Amino acid sequence: MGGILSLPVLGVAVIYGITGIPNFAIGVIGVFGGFVTWYFLSYNMGLAIAIGVVVCFIIGWIVQRVLLTPISEMGGDATLFFIITIAVGFVFEGLLRAIFPRPNISLELPRIGTISFAGFSVEGFKIIALLFAIGTLIIIRLMEEHTEMGKSWQATSQNLKLAKLIGIKTTQVFSIASGLGCALACIGAIFWGSLYNLQLSSGWDLGFLGFIVAVVGGIGNIWGGLISALIMGMVMSFSGYLLGGEWQSVILYCIVILVLIIAPKGILGSERSL
Amino acid sequence: MSEPVLKVTDLTTCYGSISALKSINFYALDKEIVGIVGPNGAGKSTLLESIAGSLQPVEGVIELLGHRIEHFSVLKRRQLGLMLIPQEANIFSMMSVKKNLEVSVILSDREKREELISYAYELFPILYERRKQIANTLSGGQQRMLAVGIGIASNARVMLIDEPSIGLAPKLVTKFFETLKKIRDDTKKTIVLSEQNIKVLNIADRLFGLEAGEIRFDERKENLSRDVVKDLYLGSIS
Repeated sequence: MGGILSLPVLGVAVIYGITGIPNFAIGVIGVFGGFVTWYFLSYNMGLAIAIGVVVCFIIGWIVQRVLLTPISEMGGDATLFFIITIAVGFVFEGLLRAIFPRPNISLELPRIGTISFAGFSVEGFKIIALLFAIGTLIIIRLMEEHTEMGKSWQATSQNLKLAKLIGIKTTQVFSIASGLGCALACIGAIFWGSLYNLQLSSGWDLGFLGFIVAVVGGIGNIWGGLISALIMGMVMSFSGYLLGGEWQSVILYCIVILVLIIAPKGILGSERSL
Repeated sequence: MSEPVLKVTDLTTCYGSISALKSINFYALDKEIVGIVGPNGAGKSTLLESIAGSLQPVEGVIELLGHRIEHFSVLKRRQLGLMLIPQEANIFSMMSVKKNLEVSVILSDREKREELISYAYELFPILYERRKQIANTLSGGQQRMLAVGIGIASNARVMLIDEPSIGLAPKLVTKFFETLKKIRDDTKKTIVLSEQNIKVLNIADRLFGLEAGEIRFDERKENLSRDVVKDLYLGSIS
């Protein structure tokens, strides 16, 4: 569970870390990509996944470029972004309803089987999702050290005003970050859809869970987000196993509230940087 | 007289309904060091931020190297050769010194980048010593050096520096100003700096006196008596 959660969490962290704008539509956009992938799945699996991910990247880019960046330039505050990104989410959920006639789908990807470890068995997909998230994170870190683009991201996330002054194309950096975040959410949705199933409204679960887990880890702090994803995932699995599925969210959100009372900035502390 | 590289005509900038700059005329010539002096709240930072594009003026014309730039974005002004080193938050505090400089050469030709960074290290050897250190672990003075280093790395034709001496020990201020002069002499750039510190008289070619959003004087240094400057800060007796 934590493995799959780690992808939308990473998406949330990348977008918030770089742009400072919370995008609550990220999950719905990811699920939109999941449906797109499902639509093309009968042709070719790799191609279908690629199309879904690219569509999400483009949607993320456009939403940021035409909507969120201009509003942020005008000085929009968190409440405004909350309402606008929720509205964007409903737009995409509505589009899903209009385009895809089926209320829920299951992505038939080849199963990898389960891996047993110390008496527990874990679905192979979950491990792959987690490895994918960690791999993405390592690539981002390497880019920050060795590429101009990575350094520009880092500079933009640390000091937007100075980044603009030294000549970084911050608008472009924002758009790429948003595209990347939505693409990660899409991959998360694809994993989710192949393990469970995707409903038209699954995006809200995925997005809000991603957000909450990111906040618990320390929003914008990517490592904190991943650790939190693993812990929260385990909490959900264990509480579901011990008390039954209906108790999962009760236990999960009580723990979220507790953690945030004790550490309001999350487990590793929040930072507006990658 | 040669054409100014930077020229501001009738510039008015407001915060809400309060005008912080009232129809300012200002210019800087090529290779000149211009000091904008005045007390706190005179509008010095507002003027620099309006020129750089961080603030949008209500009225007026800003020309840079013959281009009208008042409607240009910060980025476009930067691409034309203007760079502002702000008074606060003027470094990337969670990045190493080296990376601060590396990211600031982004608009320069690839062949020139190493050279610019080496020049910044040459001016401030302490930055080279501390190049691997995270910027916010530097002392206040060193952070200020890094901010100027970022300006050098950016290789802008016109460099605006907002209050570079604020918070520095008096001894450091003199040295710091000498370094700014050396930068101008070496690189033939135009430097505009806002200052409260009177020592700016030692390096500036020309001074603009600003008070309550209006220009009080605009004089070459040699024509300026210290009393005029003093009046600006203390208020004229007459």
